Amino acid sequence: MNSNEEQIRAAIAEQASEWLLAHDEGPLKVRDCAALTAWLKSSPVHIEEFLGVAVLARDMRELGADPEFSVDRVVAHARSEAASAVRPLWPRVIAPVRDISSRRWVPAIASLAAVVLVSLGLFSLWNAGFFAPALAPGEAAERYQTRHGEQLSLRLTDNSVLHLNTDSAVSIRYGKTERVVTLLSGEADFEVTHDPGRVFRVLAGSAEVVAIGTKFDVRLQDASTVVTVVEGRVTVELSQGWGKPATQSNAKLTPLTLMLGANQQVSVSEGVWPATPAAVDAQHATAWLHRQIVFDQAPLERVAAEFSRYSPKPFEITTPALRTLQISGVFSTNDTDVFIAFLRSLKGVRVEVTATRIRVSQRSAAALPDYT
Amino acid sequence: MLVADPKPSLLERLFSEHRTALHAFFRRRIRSPVDASDLAQEVYVRMLRIKDQEAIRNPVPYLYTVANNLVKEHAVLDQRRASCIDIDDAPAQESLETLPAFDTEIDARQRAQRLDVVLNQLPPKCRAAVVLRYTHELSFREIGEHLSVSPQMARKYVVQGLAHCRRRMVRLG
Repeated sequence: MNSNEEQIRAAIAEQASEWLLAHDEGPLKVRDCAALTAWLKSSPVHIEEFLGVAVLARDMRELGADPEFSVDRVVAHARSEAASAVRPLWPRVIAPVRDISSRRWVPAIASLAAVVLVSLGLFSLWNAGFFAPALAPGEAAERYQTRHGEQLSLRLTDNSVLHLNTDSAVSIRYGKTERVVTLLSGEADFEVTHDPGRVFRVLAGSAEVVAIGTKFDVRLQDASTVVTVVEGRVTVELSQGWGKPATQSNAKLTPLTLMLGANQQVSVSEGVWPATPAAVDAQHATAWLHRQIVFDQAPLERVAAEFSRYSPKPFEITTPALRTLQISGVFSTNDTDVFIAFLRSLKGVRVEVTATRIRVSQRSAAALPDYT
Repeated sequence: MLVADPKPSLLERLFSEHRTALHAFFRRRIRSPVDASDLAQEVYVRMLRIKDQEAIRNPVPYLYTVANNLVKEHAVLDQRRASCIDIDDAPAQESLETLPAFDTEIDARQRAQRLDVVLNQLPPKCRAAVVLRYTHELSFREIGEHLSVSPQMARKYVVQGLAHCRRRMVRLG
């Protein structure tokens, strides 16, 4: 089975798993039954994968007797990985983050207001909002960061979940009237718990995002901030800076405030605002949560830049003509080798791995084949 | 079915689209034991035979039933053909009830060993999520609490974990 076929199979296996879960969750609605039937009828491969995952799920029921698969053991295993700031993608290159807070320069009493708990599950019943004074610029904030190739998941005291991608940093301040997360670098994904009394605000570069019980992704790029909504709605506006007083729950809508819904994306940069939201597949933008990168007809230049965010060595395209080469596919952020193999499979493309770089160039003077 | 119809039915269209695969299947049909993709092909053909107006009320039990019956049919065919009968096969199938044992060519212990291998290749949270869901039958909310993620994320881990296990099982052959 070649890698392309395997990718398709993997996607079908995922659809099959979705259906199996939906079926197990309770009686399917008539409409869903029809959709599942249609899905099964559309290819024997769908049937094979569905039966395959069903057999697997059945076999897993038999694991109960094995102490290795007890609730405590699997949870402890998952957590020990989480405690070391999520499994480093490149363990030989990167050590786990040790000092993730910036408490050194913060008065001890103020650090009490910091309310983030690492996903160790050390759950606090202490209500931060009750004690925390109103937010002021420069106030105590908990800071988290990931190194190159690392990811980190945090559960906040209000049950909101924050996922931090590679080379990223956030500072988090929870107050009485608002919850503020500042994305200092990189990319973060937010699953926000609705709290009408406390706005959830994300400051990132020139963008300010207000969430209302939703799931969205914010990424800082060189000159802009990209906001992608997965579920629910957010408002986006140009950031007013740090000194802005906390506003009440319902953000005041101005002509410069954009409302974004699911599968919408906007790029925020000063001077080009308000921008027009674009329709995107939010699952692609958040594929990194599953350590995947998804490209649909993307230029190699962008693909290589994306891979360089995770790989131990940066990609470098030395033949300008290759920069616009269109790439489609689902790749693993953990596995640069697979991507290199994929590039090498393309006609006329040559990949050299040097001590510091992964160099992509045109194989010879021969004309580049037409990939369009 | 043999009467010429100027307008090809959906069934015929689908059938012609998959003709090569189906021919290959029928050639192999004589062979035993049943292999997963053969079985899927045959279930597929049977599903296509059902007219749309007799829409299948609940496709999952239907799928299991058809697959089970096929496995039994094959077992009968095999017994008639084979001079030596695998006595371990029949009781194993009886105990499965709802799901076909179309991977009878490897025994349960070997399957369990492979499952162990593929589970340990999963990212820890995915591994925990599928085990908590299927071995311990916890809800997504409970899984989320154990792993400090939202129930939605717990569900995602299960979907991903199951799909990864499935493909890795296939690769183990």
